[in-house]
Amino acid sequence: MGIAAFVALVGFAKSFEAEWLKLYESAGTDLAVVEKTFLNTSVDGSVGGKLRALPQVASAVPMIMNLMDLTPEVNALVYGMPADSYELDPLTILQGRRFRDGEPELMLGEILAENLGRKAGDSLNIQGAAYRVVGVFRGGSALEAGAAIMPLRQLQQLADLGNKVTAFHVRLHPALAGQSEQEHIQQARAAIEAALPGLKAVPARDRAHNNQVVALARSTAWGTSLIALLIGALGIANTMAMSVFERTREIGVLRALGWRRWRVMQLILLEAAVLGFVGGGLGLAGGWGALRVLALIPATANIGSISISWLHASEALLIAVLIGIMAGFLPAWRGARLSPVEALRSE
Amino acid sequence: MSECLLETRAVTKSFDGGRIQALRGVDLQVRAGEFVAISGASGSGKSTLLQLLGGLDAPTTGDVLFQGASLSPPFDLDAYRSQRVGFVFQAFYLLATLRVLENVQIPMFETSLSARQREDKAAALLHEMGLDERLRQYPNELSAGERQRVAIARSLANDPEILLADEPTGNLDSENSARIMAILADIQARRSMTLIVVTHDEDIARGAQRNIRIRDGRIWSQ
Repeated sequence: MGIAAFVALVGFAKSFEAEWLKLYESAGTDLAVVEKTFLNTSVDGSVGGKLRALPQVASAVPMIMNLMDLTPEVNALVYGMPADSYELDPLTILQGRRFRDGEPELMLGEILAENLGRKAGDSLNIQGAAYRVVGVFRGGSALEAGAAIMPLRQLQQLADLGNKVTAFHVRLHPALAGQSEQEHIQQARAAIEAALPGLKAVPARDRAHNNQVVALARSTAWGTSLIALLIGALGIANTMAMSVFERTREIGVLRALGWRRWRVMQLILLEAAVLGFVGGGLGLAGGWGALRVLALIPATANIGSISISWLHASEALLIAVLIGIMAGFLPAWRGARLSPVEALRSE
Repeated sequence: MSECLLETRAVTKSFDGGRIQALRGVDLQVRAGEFVAISGASGSGKSTLLQLLGGLDAPTTGDVLFQGASLSPPFDLDAYRSQRVGFVFQAFYLLATLRVLENVQIPMFETSLSARQREDKAAALLHEMGLDERLRQYPNELSAGERQRVAIARSLANDPEILLADEPTGNLDSENSARIMAILADIQARRSMTLIVVTHDEDIARGAQRNIRIRDGRIWSQ
């Protein structure tokens, strides 16, 4: 159960993170410029001019990211950005058109539109304000399919943010000949941070990994998984204690025949590791099943894919084996310390 | 067949905080290559004495010596049990989850033999016991006599100098008892081993070169 929870929850959080990265990559964003203190939506919108003036910067667009209740039943990520943002370019408009700045309009991702039962031309009331759904789109990331995008200014007004934005997403000019991509990004970061004290420029990959939503999802997944893993460890410890108890005479035979304590321990620990591995395999299957169920639920279908990476599967099995060994240690130690003659007498 | 291989000096063994006195000052010497029977009634202390000689348990007072060296710490009892002594028990003590061939290999895990060498040696020992057809079977598929022969093969796995048998025929019918005792005597003679058999059967005791009688935790005659 512990491994199933680990695979499902941590896998879900990892998928979530992967979708964030896709979001940046599909738009071609190189850097996100955010507050150094990492407060949400606290970058002053007026720094855009200074950013665009830097020679390394090709485009710099302000954006807001907010998790909002669109209806009592449906909450979703809502992005605010200018209508001419390069980040809107990769979207495929399935119905209607792109929104216009200054208008109370928004576009819905295809899954969100389905969940809300809205299509282009319908209206949507958010927190007392009426918005017109002008388009339905398909994006490069599953996260966009469940999101809404509206004009930056509209979202600032709706959320009472003044001129604040979450971040500026920056596309850089291509690297100079002979300059590696890494050097190019490092140089741009240094230039941005020198020009805009108090802000930091985070590479898109880092931002996908460290943004607050992903960090919250990850810590929740790990916290819940750890509790489940602890319960699993207690289960294995109990099983191993019972196994050692039931095989006291067998251990006595091994000790009588000259097996050293460490070899008896090794045998019991190996058994615990195999138990952990088999449990881990079953947990992996259970976790995969849980992810499939999440993929069928509308509220979570858009957040992540159901695939489990080899790395994640290996992590799960390694954790299962380590838990097995740790949980088996005390029973193994007790078993190894049995006196051969006492153990042989046991029924 | 002359030097003293095993010796006990004023050995006592008590249990339950001294309430039960199993051995009350036993002095015994066993020479290399000797076939000794330890006989006595049930509860006389003969099995306890065998356990002390085999390093399965420690005396309460007194000393047990192997080739003049005390079996008390820092003596390596695990190595002693693995390399110098072979045990045959009344209840066989074969591991039910292992095949016959695997059971015989158990003591060999404390040696440097490869898996192949272990298997070959176990097969050879089982051949010696006339069990070639039983290598792949589990203990519960064998008769009692066959199980004891597997246990004897296992006791010889590391070519020990001493074979300790605790009521080896206790669970066998007369035909199988005679066969097992013949095998043990034959092994002792061919390998020039020291064989110590604990028994309450006077016929078996009479077959040994020396019969040590125990009564109430003391040697009564030898």
